[in-house]
Amino acid sequence: MKKALLLWLFVAMGVVHALAQTRSLSGKILDAKDGTPLPGVTIKIKGTNTGTVSTPNGSFKLDAVENSATLIISFVGYEAQEIGVGNSSSITIQLKPDTKSLQEVVVTAQGIIRDKRSLGYATETVSGADLSQKSEPNVLNSLAGKVAGVNISSSSGAPGASTNINIRGITSFSGSNQPLIVVDGVIFSNDVDNTQNTLFGTQPSNRLADIAPESIESVNLLKGPAAAALYGSRASAGAILITTKSGKGLTGKTEVTVTSSMNFSQVSGLPEFQNEYGQGANNDYVANSSNSWGPAFGSLDSITTTQGTRVPYKAYPNNVKDFFQTGRIIQNGVNLSSGTADNNITLGLSSTLQKGIIPETEFNRHSVQLGGNRKFQNGIKVSSSVTYVRSNQLGIPQGNGGSAFGLLTRIPRSYDLMGQPFEDPITGRSIFYNTTQNHPMWSVFNEQFTSKLNRVFGYFTLSYDFTKWLSASYRVTGDMYNDRRKFVAQPTSARNPEGQILEDQFYRGEFNGDLNIRAFKKDLFTPGLELTALLGQNINHRDFQNATINAQSLTVPNFENVAGALVFSTSTETSNRRRLLGYYGQLSFNYKSYLFLELTGRMDQSSTLPKDNNKYFYPSAALSFVPTDAFKLKSDVLSYLKLRVNAARVGRDADPYLLNNTYTKSSYGNNTASITFPISTTGGFVPGFDPSNRLAPDKLTPEFTYSYEGGINVGLFKSRVSIDATYFYTRSVNQIFNLSISNSSGFDTRTANVGLMTNKGIELLVNATPLQFRDFSWDVSINYTRIRNMVHRIGDNVGDIKNTAITGDGFIGIQPSIAEGYAYGVIIGTKNARNDAGQLLINPTTGLLVPGIAGEVISDPNPDWIAGITNTFRYKNFSLSFLIDTKQGGDIYSFSMADVRGNGSLAITAADRDQPRILPGVIATGDGKYVPNNIQISAQSYWAALGGLASEGAVFDATVYRLREISMYYTLPSRWFLNSAIGSVSLGASARNLFFYAPHYPADPETNTQGAGNIQGMDLNGAPATRNFGANLRVTF
Amino acid sequence: MTTRLLKYIPIVLLAVATTSCKKYLDVNDTPNNPLEVQPAQLLASGLSGAAFAAAGDMNRFGQVIMDYHTGTAGSPSTWDIYNTNGADFGNQWRLDLYDGSLIAFKDMIRRGDELDSKAYSGVGKIMLGYTFAFTTDIWGDIPYSQALKGRDYPTEGNSVLQPRLDKQEDIYKGNAGLGIQSLFDLVREGIADLDATSALKPGTKDDLIYGGNLANWKKAGYTLLMKLALQISKREPALAATVINEALAADYIKSNTENMGVKFGNVVGSQSPLFYLINVSSFRDEMLVSTRYVTRLQALNDPRLDRWVTKPSGNFVTLDNGYRGTIPTNTTFSRLSTVITGLDGVGPVRLLTNAQRAFILAEAALTLDISIPDANADALYKEGIRASMQDAGVENTAIDAYFAANAAVVTLSGTVAQQVEQIITQKYIALTGNPLEAWNDYRRTGYPVMAEHQNAVGIDGKRPVRAQYIDQEVARNPNFSPAPLPNVKVWWDVD
Repeated sequence: MKKALLLWLFVAMGVVHALAQTRSLSGKILDAKDGTPLPGVTIKIKGTNTGTVSTPNGSFKLDAVENSATLIISFVGYEAQEIGVGNSSSITIQLKPDTKSLQEVVVTAQGIIRDKRSLGYATETVSGADLSQKSEPNVLNSLAGKVAGVNISSSSGAPGASTNINIRGITSFSGSNQPLIVVDGVIFSNDVDNTQNTLFGTQPSNRLADIAPESIESVNLLKGPAAAALYGSRASAGAILITTKSGKGLTGKTEVTVTSSMNFSQVSGLPEFQNEYGQGANNDYVANSSNSWGPAFGSLDSITTTQGTRVPYKAYPNNVKDFFQTGRIIQNGVNLSSGTADNNITLGLSSTLQKGIIPETEFNRHSVQLGGNRKFQNGIKVSSSVTYVRSNQLGIPQGNGGSAFGLLTRIPRSYDLMGQPFEDPITGRSIFYNTTQNHPMWSVFNEQFTSKLNRVFGYFTLSYDFTKWLSASYRVTGDMYNDRRKFVAQPTSARNPEGQILEDQFYRGEFNGDLNIRAFKKDLFTPGLELTALLGQNINHRDFQNATINAQSLTVPNFENVAGALVFSTSTETSNRRRLLGYYGQLSFNYKSYLFLELTGRMDQSSTLPKDNNKYFYPSAALSFVPTDAFKLKSDVLSYLKLRVNAARVGRDADPYLLNNTYTKSSYGNNTASITFPISTTGGFVPGFDPSNRLAPDKLTPEFTYSYEGGINVGLFKSRVSIDATYFYTRSVNQIFNLSISNSSGFDTRTANVGLMTNKGIELLVNATPLQFRDFSWDVSINYTRIRNMVHRIGDNVGDIKNTAITGDGFIGIQPSIAEGYAYGVIIGTKNARNDAGQLLINPTTGLLVPGIAGEVISDPNPDWIAGITNTFRYKNFSLSFLIDTKQGGDIYSFSMADVRGNGSLAITAADRDQPRILPGVIATGDGKYVPNNIQISAQSYWAALGGLASEGAVFDATVYRLREISMYYTLPSRWFLNSAIGSVSLGASARNLFFYAPHYPADPETNTQGAGNIQGMDLNGAPATRNFGANLRVTF
Repeated sequence: MTTRLLKYIPIVLLAVATTSCKKYLDVNDTPNNPLEVQPAQLLASGLSGAAFAAAGDMNRFGQVIMDYHTGTAGSPSTWDIYNTNGADFGNQWRLDLYDGSLIAFKDMIRRGDELDSKAYSGVGKIMLGYTFAFTTDIWGDIPYSQALKGRDYPTEGNSVLQPRLDKQEDIYKGNAGLGIQSLFDLVREGIADLDATSALKPGTKDDLIYGGNLANWKKAGYTLLMKLALQISKREPALAATVINEALAADYIKSNTENMGVKFGNVVGSQSPLFYLINVSSFRDEMLVSTRYVTRLQALNDPRLDRWVTKPSGNFVTLDNGYRGTIPTNTTFSRLSTVITGLDGVGPVRLLTNAQRAFILAEAALTLDISIPDANADALYKEGIRASMQDAGVENTAIDAYFAANAAVVTLSGTVAQQVEQIITQKYIALTGNPLEAWNDYRRTGYPVMAEHQNAVGIDGKRPVRAQYIDQEVARNPNFSPAPLPNVKVWWDVD
């Protein structure tokens, strides 16, 4: 083979030589962004009909090329290039992705591929190259800062911890506001299944974490209801369409891509601690105190610990930091595809091995994908893909009161946290300064959560083109997983003094069948008017099951099996099944490629709605107009202009079983004294049930969101600058909500359709190429998002509540809420008392704040605006890109910072500690007047007064600027591999979260202890964030 | 040919898809919760709910207000200086009463009738009567005739979601015009139901009070009538006398073994709230026994003191009510012993006792026109003391010795008022562990005589005479406004 090639070359060169004017030319075409070879690129010699197409490894060869020839290289989605051949015989051409392309194609709802210019709504595409090999195993985290209209926040740096995503704000009071995720047409669960109370449990993953970033070809965001309407009920929160790598674009060869990366993580965003004062209170050493208000270092030589040992009294500056270790993430992937565009097979393997910064924490993910396309001779096409994923997570609980993280904020500065034994070898009990709590390392080893998830998802599509204008397909998709979880808390653990084992099993399965019939008609009624029509039908089936054995009171030490427990009475089983039938259609008109109208309609029939009224219809209409084409306005300044508007209504059906009045297993009391049926009495076990606290509705309609959107796309300076601006307004009504009712009715809530909530927002995307020389380019991509959410009304009756807690776990007095007149998710707690002028009121005898007012809105987690800017520099085969993003405004409610400030560990509390302080505020003189506070108090009283846990004092402005991502790639010169099997090799280095600046918060404000979901903006002693950096390699064959 | 046939496939598919969807969608009955349960499950739930209302957080309120305990921290220390507001007792109102025991009893009556099991309906009505009385005695006017009807919302509309408040007078006496059945008639109906044939009957397990002994339930029903009658006797002496005479003619609780007490279990998650809050929970350090209680019993040489109050340090470590100084080490606190709270949490939580009945009749004999002559008041008084001492485990010989040595204490003497004071004071001691019932007597009679607490605040420095409506109800149901403050007397509280 090689010999033949050489011979062929020899002959070819001979011909070149013989003709003298022409010769053969070989070359390689690479993606300028990441150096991957581009197959299927058209190479044409200008002015002739001679041309070729690049092979799977990006190479091409042309015979008889004249020296004066110019090559035109073009490929869908990339900027076309013209290159003079000169006298070189081999050439490497880098094609730049054409973000400003007029012909850019995007995947829209139901997998329909459309020309982007025809769309009357905003979509945004992120290529797989922007997501993979970025030192981050969770796709959602990699998306952060790169897209407009989207708010993404990771919940912590613990391996596998969930990430929250909301597109265009919140539209449902109590339903999920996470967008629908569709992977290769498969509706893909991104649920977060919680095993424990979210205040105290381990953070489980959002299930999109089961997708390896390396396997992603592209991600497309359908932001508004209009874009997603064809997905029906599920897409009222938007949709994310993920396309994985497949055999598309193959030209008969085999292509193999191998990726490999190794990253390290470190703890990031720990607050700065003081190292001048040690354990104790009021300048005295107190052995069991969690405060650092003790004597200054140097004033005492040694102290006696609670264990009775004598130790030196000195600062341990890294005592908290040293709890964390260096984590690592190893990711490897192989992607193989072979065949032609119509007949091909793909195989993808990926492996992620992550060890966390927290001891004993891991997230390991392995997946295998096998897929292929086949077109039979009779014209029937089949395509299918099946993926198996195994994700394992190992974690530890968090939260205040007892978890490792709840105690890490209570480590006195003089405590040698990591230098002493933490477990008694005989009793197995914790050794800690605080004898009623456990050492954080004890918690790490004795309170462990394991999740072992097996997931299979895939599709099978059968399609047939009846005529040139009519085609049909049927697609069956399935996604199911089983998550076998176990949580073990050894006896003497803080929240389970008697010990607990939870055997927790989750199953989720979703199956869809979709019939699509598509028709196309040119010159409909009038020349230049095209119609594309789609008719579809969907059958949907979803199952959920969660069975929990809650085994309490463990009897045999270190026997981690429910068989060793005594009490099982709170074991539970929950099963849900829901079904839906949908009928949908779409009409897309295209008039001379400058005026587009798209109409969609979908009717759903849901099992969760009342039988006699379970159908609901929702339409959308989108119009777009390209004046630059219509009126031939194109100039050197204005290259493109598009105006678009749309309106839509989408419905969201109810959760299952809301229509039943039921009975629930009784329990009485709270954590201070409680019983749960069945109770065990001298007569034996006694069951007890009573009517559920929720009253079922007699009628129920779906929730509806009405959406209106207008936008403009502008291309300037020969498309070197492109702007995409969108304004949207959504109005959500008929919220299916458990409205509080008078308890004397015998019930606490009643499910009803109530409420009104709106979102309005601006999205802005700017892409520009400020500089471009022959081998150098500088690209800038900016996105900006500003969303204003407002809850206008909760209930409609007099006496209906004006605010209510968001469904979920919460602390009394710190309530993430839906409150009329505020944005969704504000936190209601105790607000400091102020006079009419807004000055803090001070108690005239103590000099401390007067008692606060409970039940007030104290914190709003919604940012004012979000923006990201990515700069990419390319020079020949080298590229460097960095992303800086910011969230402006929005609050974080933080136990952790209230802790370290109140207990005197934070650096700021050491400043002038021996000087008296005065709280800023005023003292009422009794005659309606106020005088400035002049009462001196100690530093300890001062900092303690500024904020306890359930008060305004724990609220901080969460504004943050972040160097979110840096990546650097170098593609080895392709000529090095010209005669080898290797197509291209690129080396890279990347880092995430290298640096952040939060002007008003002593730590990293991007955290959320309760994980992905409707409750946001609270650090309830959660795990800190990480900083990741590493190197990666990509080889194609 | 194939091509032509294939053309029809989509049409056929669409047709198949659209049929038979009715059955496909019929999957919305929950498998996670029962849609109907048996009365037995409702009974166990309702009884324990009623016990939680009487022996949970509100019990701690009663303990400090009625000088049994002194608050050292948390809510008890707030109540100890008479501070209480609508933020208190939300859980009791919501979870133990209206959405707990009351709705369970109400539903049990419906279910009992439906299943021809009137025994359950009868017990349900007696307990509904007991629990509604408990609720109105604490809060005054409450939702009663329109309460617990949430499930009738589709036909009845908003009125059942925001029920009207009935006047306490109407709740006790009934008001035909407003469609209000009196508590007496409710309990009478319950007693009558117990005589009907019944397919299902309460048994040893689900009946956490009498283990299925319907005769005892009947006695409890008549004893409850006596208690209800005495409670309104200042307002309605004639009605009270009629009701008590009616009960006297029937059978009522006459021995401690017939005490109406809710039994619990001895393992975590099954234990009596009284035991758990006082002896185990992290809340236990929020109270210790009041100096006033110990002093009172010491002055009477009462043998129950050593049985009921612990001395971990060898001496009584107590504090005066309202005390705002240094608090002793919690390990030395004198607490109520498990003799009264129930060993290992098994209870019982006493709702109505033989001793209580004796004191009720003793007082009625003195103050009301009933078929027991005044002269028998002293015997009934003695019977009450003896029953309580027996319940406390004092040996009969010791009781006899006590009676012999303390004749003045155990013998009624002086004016009617003085005799009533003697009765209520002994009843107060006998009600140790059930302070809310003692609070009812105190508000009704002014006995036992108790000095105001140190550092008292409250509305006017005086003991609260009702609980304020809970904040949730005021927010959710306009009928609760305006909410009377805790210094406003309830209807039966005449002076």
